[in-house]
Amino acid sequence: MTFKEFAKELNGKRVEGEIIKTMFYSLISSIGAFVILYFSILKDIENFLPKYGFYIFFAIVSYAVVLPSFRQVRAYRQFACMSGMMIGMTTGMIAGFLAGFLAGATNGMFYGSIFGMAVGIFLGVWNGKCCGIMGLMEGLMAGFMGGLMGAMTSVMLINEPLRAATIIIFVICATILFALNYMIYKEMKETPREIIEDYGMVAITSFLLTIITIWLMVFGPRSILFS
Amino acid sequence: MGNKAIYIGVIVLILVAGFFLIKSPNVNGEVTSGGTGDIQKVTIGFKNYNYDPQVVKVKANQPVRIYLDDSVYGCYRAFTIREFGISKFLQSTNDYVEFTPTKPGTYAFSCSMGMGTGKLIVE
Repeated sequence: MTFKEFAKELNGKRVEGEIIKTMFYSLISSIGAFVILYFSILKDIENFLPKYGFYIFFAIVSYAVVLPSFRQVRAYRQFACMSGMMIGMTTGMIAGFLAGFLAGATNGMFYGSIFGMAVGIFLGVWNGKCCGIMGLMEGLMAGFMGGLMGAMTSVMLINEPLRAATIIIFVICATILFALNYMIYKEMKETPREIIEDYGMVAITSFLLTIITIWLMVFGPRSILFS
Repeated sequence: MGNKAIYIGVIVLILVAGFFLIKSPNVNGEVTSGGTGDIQKVTIGFKNYNYDPQVVKVKANQPVRIYLDDSVYGCYRAFTIREFGISKFLQSTNDYVEFTPTKPGTYAFSCSMGMGTGKLIVE
């Protein structure tokens, strides 16, 4: 019953009604960042799209599915420890895994895992702090693990069908993040929204993450090897 | 903006981005099992936890045969040149990979996990 209510709320007036809109603004911002980079420095790179386009596409879509939970969490502000830990863990793990996986596919284990850990820890802590130190620590640990695991997975799949694995992994991660949106709704449906904000945070975060990801993929120290 | 328009917008954005960004990777050069000209034989060793030499120069349109000597061990023997579609575990010093580069350029070679790396310059 709750899931039906949640599906209804995706078109409703609560913060859940803004999930798809958040994805939309994230996509607009990330695609804008890509277009700026492409027409300024990337278009002259030989075979740029065949080499990097696939991974850049999944980076853009990945950030668009990670960020809606931030809007939900910020709207309700305070969570119980158990929910907050789950939020921190899921966000850190999935964001770190996806970032590490995509960076690892183009830059190898070291740079992929460093980037994955940085993104996972940053986003995990940011989202997990909604319940205090427990969620923060969970975000920290999950971001660390997700970043390492993502890079390791893609590097080990270099000589396997890496592109097919990327699609499968993305679908699983997107499902987990959608389940997180549902969990937040289920936990907080009786709680009124505390903060109403515009989409600036989503747009800026997507823009910066996309710029950094593309830069690392294309100009990273080992991108020539893995391109 | 109505929610229906947002849903359509998200789908359109993903489709448009996918259409422009997702292209099949190019394969530069082709792999051959024989070759008509003289074979360029290269033996690569292992030094400072990496392949040695790390830069190998070969001529285009002439078969190249790469061996790994007995200093190369473990997963470093899984020799890979992605752009030529080469990935082979060279079990002994008599095993080799052979291909004919057709396009001058710089190509990366590595072990299967990318831990050992080097460059193949085709002139």
